[in-house]
Amino acid sequence: MTEYDGFSYDRDREIYSAARVRALESLLIEKGIISGETVDKVLNYFETEMGPFNGAKIVAKAWTDPEFKAKLLEDCNAAISDIGLPVGMSGAEGEHMKIVENTAEVHNIVICTLCSCYPWPTLGLPPYWFKDPTFRARAAREPRAVLTEFGVELPEETTISLWDSSAQIRWFVLPQRPEGTEGMSEAELAALITPEAMMGVALVPSPSA
Amino acid sequence: MKIQHNIAGIENLGEIDFQKRVFVVPWEERIFGIHVAMMGLSSHLDTDSVPDYSLSSVPTNFDSTWTWGHLRMGAEGLNPFDYFKFRYYEKWLGGISGFFIEEGYITEEELDAKTALYLEDGNLDNAPLPNKPEPAIDEQVMKYLREGDSPQREVNVTPKFAVGDKIRVKSIPPTEHTRLPGNLQGKTGTIDVAYPAPYTYFFTTTDGLGEPMPVYNVKFESTELWGEMAEPNNVYYNDLFETYLEAA
Repeated sequence: MTEYDGFSYDRDREIYSAARVRALESLLIEKGIISGETVDKVLNYFETEMGPFNGAKIVAKAWTDPEFKAKLLEDCNAAISDIGLPVGMSGAEGEHMKIVENTAEVHNIVICTLCSCYPWPTLGLPPYWFKDPTFRARAAREPRAVLTEFGVELPEETTISLWDSSAQIRWFVLPQRPEGTEGMSEAELAALITPEAMMGVALVPSPSA
Repeated sequence: MKIQHNIAGIENLGEIDFQKRVFVVPWEERIFGIHVAMMGLSSHLDTDSVPDYSLSSVPTNFDSTWTWGHLRMGAEGLNPFDYFKFRYYEKWLGGISGFFIEEGYITEEELDAKTALYLEDGNLDNAPLPNKPEPAIDEQVMKYLREGDSPQREVNVTPKFAVGDKIRVKSIPPTEHTRLPGNLQGKTGTIDVAYPAPYTYFFTTTDGLGEPMPVYNVKFESTELWGEMAEPNNVYYNDLFETYLEAA
């Protein structure tokens, strides 16, 4: 894995930021704004409860349960409220979520040109590529070229639908179920589904590939 | 014109780095956690939120309002060249530490002094954070994460537009903050969805956000947005507040 060389800041700059954040957090704790454990608890929440593993379960269930899939497309928050996911699936940055389905005719991509709006309960926190101004600027006008760069080649006749998130609705994608997955359990299917596929910049790979 | 409001379609940016990590260095996690804590302890949750928060009973000394709108406003207020020079979380660090200084919780001098202390050899790795448990603060922040802060409001507002209506995006110069990508101004599109309940905003903006209003999902043809620079077979949708739209 290569480092983004746009971030090859000198070591001093990185260490300075680390020291400044530590100083800030330390002062906020001393002054009773947050506790000594608040930040750790927040981070733990996203490591263990809210992450792309939730979205992967939702997609796998939609692939195997047509009734659930219909409910999901109609009202995402209602559909995912009682399928055994952690408490908080309509919490911060997930109060109003919508999912769009990829088909042979239409491929969906989600972006946020103004900032980095991302559906936290279903996909966790946004990866760097999604927050990158280069991605935000280019995907808005040339999504097909961006997909090619990410290794996704779509047929010319496929329509690309781009969903920008300038209000409070948080979007994600129901990717197409790949070939060669017949008979797989929901857990086995979920293991194939990446956050990139659930934002439309990757396809779910066939296990036989 | 603020370039931060207008980045869609900028040319010559080169290849995108497909970095899949959320945080590229550990310090970024800390400023993220601080921002979430601030949102979870924001005083507006007591008076203007849907879930039943009781901030007055939380033993925090934070008594300001802090939301996504405040964080973004800080980034949008940067010199545009700095906006691109500073990495994503560096902008957060600058904006958030500036906020705590402006609001008088800390002084620049004490932040600088403590930063210098941690910069001294070995201190970053060896000096632990203060041991100050306060479970009630943590509980409020976790409650905020699980219950959120929905901007939908149960008020009666008559939508101006219906599904299928042709609209034009207004040309309103934004100032400090906007939720309208600049490249959409003056463009025509079609209402694809009229969301059933109105949405409020974190604060009022000069371009009309604030009071609860309808939000629509608007469909734009890519040729309308990009002319001959549009890719074929490509449609763009965005969720736009009613204040940004007029009949075409």
